[in-house]
Amino acid sequence: MGDVTVLAVSACDVEGEVICAPTDINELFEFTTPLFSIGGFNFTRTVFLIFAAMAIVLGALFVGLRRQQLVPSRFEIAIESLVGFVRDDIAKGVIGTAHGMRYLPYLLSLFFFLLVGNVFKVTPLINFPISSRMAIPAFLAMVTWVIFVFVGFAKNGFKHYFIDTIWPKSVPLALRWLVGLIELVSIFVLRPITLAVRLFANMVAGHLMLTLLLVSGVLFLGGVGDIGIKAGIGIVWFVFGLAIWVFELVVAILQAYIFTLLSAVYIQTSLEPAH
Amino acid sequence: MDAVYAVAQGALVLAQAGLTGEISGSLNLVGYGLAAVGPGIGIGIVVGNAITAMVRQPEMEGTVRTTMFLGIAFTEALALIGFVLFFIG
Repeated sequence: MGDVTVLAVSACDVEGEVICAPTDINELFEFTTPLFSIGGFNFTRTVFLIFAAMAIVLGALFVGLRRQQLVPSRFEIAIESLVGFVRDDIAKGVIGTAHGMRYLPYLLSLFFFLLVGNVFKVTPLINFPISSRMAIPAFLAMVTWVIFVFVGFAKNGFKHYFIDTIWPKSVPLALRWLVGLIELVSIFVLRPITLAVRLFANMVAGHLMLTLLLVSGVLFLGGVGDIGIKAGIGIVWFVFGLAIWVFELVVAILQAYIFTLLSAVYIQTSLEPAH
Repeated sequence: MDAVYAVAQGALVLAQAGLTGEISGSLNLVGYGLAAVGPGIGIGIVVGNAITAMVRQPEMEGTVRTTMFLGIAFTEALALIGFVLFFIG
């Protein structure tokens, strides 16, 4: 599928330009040609990568945690420390030791799926973050929204959760309606939107940066026969692109952590709403 | 008197050019630039204070770091919404 990316910048004029900007950025994110179709459902590259991420997560967890050894191998130590990190730092650390373990399965699958899906962005030969399609962050944010709203109503009841949120007793009466309105909008509307947009925009921005810089570098270096000394620009773009590559690897891991962390924080605030 | 008239004429032409002159380029880009200013300052404040807290109380480093990431995430959201509006606006 490397030809899709090159298609977007094939109109680039290396003699006249200093950077190869893609003419149509939708081309970088939409894979419309289905690999195959099952009864009307087109199985595109994005769908394939979603299933690949699922298979990688399941496989890594199965191989890593299959048997408990006295002296675990390096891979088992890595998987165990990741699982332990989500359990101790996110589930128990944020939600609390009393209720944290109940939400661990959701947080764990969220973290691992997003970790693999985001790291696809900087994986050679794949080079496409599946969370840069809005469907995935939006769906995961909706699941988190359903969980924290449901938990809030189930644990604290309609009065303690909803009425106390939109009519906070601790605020002076003159400002109470305003604070209540802000709380209502921020908790039930803005929380899921920002949760999804944060992940989505980070991935889109990273993918655009990497495509712009690395493809420019490759095209300029490849055109060395035609443009001569000007191909030196390609070295600059390529080195800059590799630096951004390292940065994007950190961003990919950090965004998976932040999405999971914020999900845990939202669930925790529903369990114990502020009085 | 002719000189004064010529200057006035020139000023009028310039003013008309200023009023009707086209500013080319994407206004979305300006909007995104403005949207990035506030979160930039905000993230600086968050991280700066987190470093101060970590140096003063190294035993609280873990808690401070988690809270710092939360603060960054909330602040950064504004810039990212601006980034999305840059494309869809």
